Order: sequence, then C-alpha cells, then structure tokens
Amino acid sequence: MSPVLGIAGYVLREALSRKFILAFIVGITLVLTVVALSLRIEVVDGALAASRLFGEELRTSIRSVDVALRPVYRAAAFLVFYGGILFGIVACSDFAPSLMSPGRIEHLLALPVQRWQLLTGTFLGVMTLALGGTLYGTTGLVLIFGVKAGYWTAGPFIAGLLACVGFAAVYAVMLTTATLVRSAALCAAAGFVFLVGGVIAGYRQKLMPFFEEGIGRNAFSAVTLVLPRLSALAMAGGDIAASAPLEVRSLGLLLLGVLVFGFGALALGFWRFDGKDY
Amino acid sequence: MGNRGRRRVWLVVAAMLFVVAALLMFTGQGEEPVMETPRVEFPRRMRAPERERAERRRTHVPAVPMDAGTPEPARPRDPLLAALPRGEGKTAVVIEANALRHSPIGELLLDCLMRDGGKRLDEFRKLSGVDPLQDLDRLVITDEGLLLSGNFGSAKFQELMGERVSMDYGEGARVYEPGDMTVTRPDGTTARGRSEAAVATWNNQLLVMGSSPDEVKAVVDRVEGRGPNEPPAISEGSTYGEMYGVLSVEHLARLLPPDQAALAQRIRDVAQHVELHVDASGDVAMVADVRGKNGEEVTDLGKTLGAALSVARIKAQAEGQKDLAQLLDFARVQPDGASFKLELAVPLDAIQQRLAFCKEERSTAEAAQH
Repeated sequence: MSPVLGIAGYVLREALSRKFILAFIVGITLVLTVVALSLRIEVVDGALAASRLFGEELRTSIRSVDVALRPVYRAAAFLVFYGGILFGIVACSDFAPSLMSPGRIEHLLALPVQRWQLLTGTFLGVMTLALGGTLYGTTGLVLIFGVKAGYWTAGPFIAGLLACVGFAAVYAVMLTTATLVRSAALCAAAGFVFLVGGVIAGYRQKLMPFFEEGIGRNAFSAVTLVLPRLSALAMAGGDIAASAPLEVRSLGLLLLGVLVFGFGALALGFWRFDGKDY
Repeated sequence: MGNRGRRRVWLVVAAMLFVVAALLMFTGQGEEPVMETPRVEFPRRMRAPERERAERRRTHVPAVPMDAGTPEPARPRDPLLAALPRGEGKTAVVIEANALRHSPIGELLLDCLMRDGGKRLDEFRKLSGVDPLQDLDRLVITDEGLLLSGNFGSAKFQELMGERVSMDYGEGARVYEPGDMTVTRPDGTTARGRSEAAVATWNNQLLVMGSSPDEVKAVVDRVEGRGPNEPPAISEGSTYGEMYGVLSVEHLARLLPPDQAALAQRIRDVAQHVELHVDASGDVAMVADVRGKNGEEVTDLGKTLGAALSVARIKAQAEGQKDLAQLLDFARVQPDGASFKLELAVPLDAIQQRLAFCKEERSTAEAAQH
C-alpha cells in the first residue's frame, strides 16, 4: 500500500502548496473565530435565555438549549454537506487532470506504481484533505457552542463525516472523468452534474409523480436508482446534527450504498485508465 | 493476468458495485413516503372560522342601554361573554365543549366517558332532558361558579328542581335557590338529595350555577345589561382555541407543584394578567400570555420559567418519562417587553397512546350490550 500512500502524500503536498486551499483553511478559521468572539449566549439551568451577536440582542425564545440549537446545527450540517462538496468540486477538480498532464504522467508511470494505485492514491489524498477540512470546521463549531452553551453533542461531527462520504462518491466520478478527458472544467462539470443528480435521486419518490406513467417515469426511476442519494444523506446528516429522529430506514445501508457507488465509479476509472496509452 | 483480462475484471467489478450500491441505497433510504414531521400549530391569534363563530354568537340585544347617556342603540353581543365577571384579576376559563367534542382529542375523551357503553350518559339524558353531546355549546369556570351555554329547550329544570324556592328574574331568567332535589330514575325509583348551589336559567340558553342567589342574579344582570360598565374578563377578540380565558395570578401560582413555591411567589409578585389559549384541533397546544408592569422583572420571570421547563425536560429524559419529555420538547418562552408567551404542546399521538384503553373498554362494553 506504500505506493498508494506515497501518491496520496504527493497530492496533499500539492494541495497545501496551493493558495486556494490555504485560503479555505484560513476562511474556516476566520468564520469560527468571528462566531466565537461575537456570539454571547446566556444559559440558565439548561435553557437558552438570551443570545447576542455582535452586541445586538437576538429575538429568540427561551427554551432548552439543545432544542434551541437544533436549527443552528441542522443549518451547519447542510452548509458543511453541500458547501463542502461544492468547494471540493471546485478546489479539487484539477488535481487528477494535472497529475495526468503530459510529462508528468509519463514520469509517474515510469515509477514502480500500478495504474490503479495512482488513481487510488489521488483519491485517498483528496479524501484526506476533505476529511481534514470537515473535521476542522465541525470540531470548531462543536467546541464553540459546547463552551458557550454547555451543550456537547457529536451530531455536527457525524454530519461532517457523512458529508465526506457524499463527497467521496462525487470525487470518484470526477477522477473517472479525468481518465476520459484531461480537463479540470469537465471534471468539475461531471462532479456538479452528479451532485445535482444525487440531490434529485434522494427525492426520487417525491418527484416520480411529476413524470407521466410509462417510459418517462421508468427511465427516471432507473437512472435515479443508481445515482448516489446525496440529498437523503444530507437530510440524515441534518437530523443527526439536530438530534432529530432519522427519516431514512437505515442510515448504515444508505451510507454504505453511497460509498460503494464511489468505489464502482473508481473501478470504472481503473478500467479506463488501464487501457489508456500515454 | 494480462492487461485485457485485468481490464475486464475492473469492468465487471464496477458493474457489480453499481448494482450493490443501488440495492443498498434502495434498502437504506426506503421507498415508502416519508411522514412529515408534525408541526404543532399554537393558538396565537384569532383565525377566520373563530371570527365567524364569534359573530354568529352575537345574538342578544340588551333591552336597557349599555350607557345611560348614549343615545346609540345597544349592539348585539354574545350573552355568555356578557355574563363573565368584570374587571382585572378575575378567573374565567371557557371550554368550547361542542368544538372539543368534534376534535380528535374530543373523540378520545368521549371514548373514556362512554367506557360503560354509554349507560350513564343515557341515564343523564333521560333524567335531565339534556344531551351534553348535542345541546352543550360552552362551559365556563369562573371564580363565582359555573356557566353553561347551549340549547336547554328540552331540559327538565322544573322536574329536577321543583322543590326549590324559585322566582322569575329580569327578562328571561328563573332563579332557583339552594334546596332539596328529587330525582326520578328511569326505573321509576326516586332519589333525594340537597344541593347548596343556586341555579339560574336564562332563555333556555344559559345555565348559571353559583354559591348564592345574589351571585347568579348578578350574572343575569350582566347578561341583560344591568351590570357594571366594565369590559368582560374575556374580550371577543380573545375567543380563540378550544379552551381560553384569563386566570388570576393567584390561581396560576396555585397550579404549580409545592416544590416550585419560590417560582409561585415570583409569579404572584411580578405577573398581573394571565391569558390562556388551548388549541385541540390537532395536537394539543397551549399558549399562556403573561403580562406584568415591570418589563425587566417580567423578562426575568420568563427566563426563570424557561429554565424550570428545561430542567423538567432534562429530568424527564433522565428518568425515561418519554411522554413528558416529548411534551416539554415544544416548551418555550417568548419574551416581549412587559409580557411573555409561554408555549406548551402535547402531540396527539402521545395522548392517543395514553387513552387507547378507553376505546377498547368502550368497544367491549358496547359489544356486551348487543
């Protein structure tokens, strides 16, 4: 596995050298710092009695702090999920194309590294980056609200991990696209299309009645059956972050399904990459 | 394995993984429609049907002018609202019996009322001539006694209270003084008893119960426009929900458990006016509007109440009292200057589960009768 880790490390070094990624880390830090310094929360016996943002009193009702923070955590989970995937699509779209750029790919293929290891390493490197960013953001959020409100929950943390699994499926598609066309824009477009498709797939039951019975509905049903159900995962993340009951039947199976879809996309990439001449 | 063979393996693996992924996601998300998360509707203002209901109830035009100096003719008004006590600090809670009867919670309560198969209710109907499920519209609990409104045209007041001293009073009232009662049961036997309550009937629409004839006469005076020229305890604009009214601060303080004596005292010190609204058209939701003179003290009281509810919720969760924890999940206090709104709700599901035994017992009793 060392060649895989070597490639992953290479991707990480490349990412850290980019100002875009550094700006992202600085951005998260700034947001967390501003929230930490500007938010004042008054908690009386477990009830959120008053809150101030930038010195302005927020008109909030007095209720149990965990109940009051539910919408905040839910919103944060959605922001981390969709915002994180969108940022990941944009920020990581050119990793694989640049790795496969003329001159570089020949050099990498000359190394004692198998082609599938090259793709797996890139995938792992990007996922490490995504995981690090997500954990940094969600841990900061949990710490801020935990210290200020005295309410500790792992909900946003778990929601962040779900977002990483969602991004894994999307990035696997982007990586496979890079084996077809060496274009960062097309990789990002493929990721974006699958993100939208994944949102639609999660709402397939609600959207199905909008299609006329017959070929249209069957085609929609067949396509959305295979697509990763990202919106369902995001909803589950929101529910977990807000400590609300889950709407999905089995989160474990759903999560595994999205992850297996990512592996499937990756396997397709291996197939394509193995047959390509450089 | 050659490159071609390896590529074939990758393709087969990819296809298999996509199939497995589809199966896992299909099973994991579930294909049955997701039940919408229940949203409790709190009674915060008068809605259109309630406004229409209030207008329909303006049926009585007092014969005497409301204000001796005003030449304007008296406007029609709701006799029950007119009968309510006047002035601040009074208790008057209206239960919309008819609306409650036709609500989901009413159906459940009816099952409990008729656990004997409806025998007692039938007996009451025959004895009094009143069918509470049809004829009773509203029931009011006040400091002074009880008020019932509805259609009492077929009520057997004379037979029930014939032995009591009674007199006509005002335009359409008859007042019965406390005294002996003889009740003839459906099987022909009689039962004697004594009632210490004075009763007044008004135009077969109102039944007033009080502790003395003077008290019930005062109520009739208010209905007929002879009462004090003060607004009733509940204004027409506040007649929303299936239960509503005003509670005296003392009554509210007394509702708290003994271990909340300090909070009860703070309520006595700070609050001046408490208005209550309960909606039972779906889930049972309550809004209590507490007002006081000093804004800061009222806000502090709101915070104390919010904290007490939060502690109670944590305690209920720790002790595994799911129903109570669920009830307190919706609890919140909304401060607004010199007043705050306290909101509480009980999901209908929780009540249904709690009262499920009533339905079973009623079905068993009805089956035994047939």
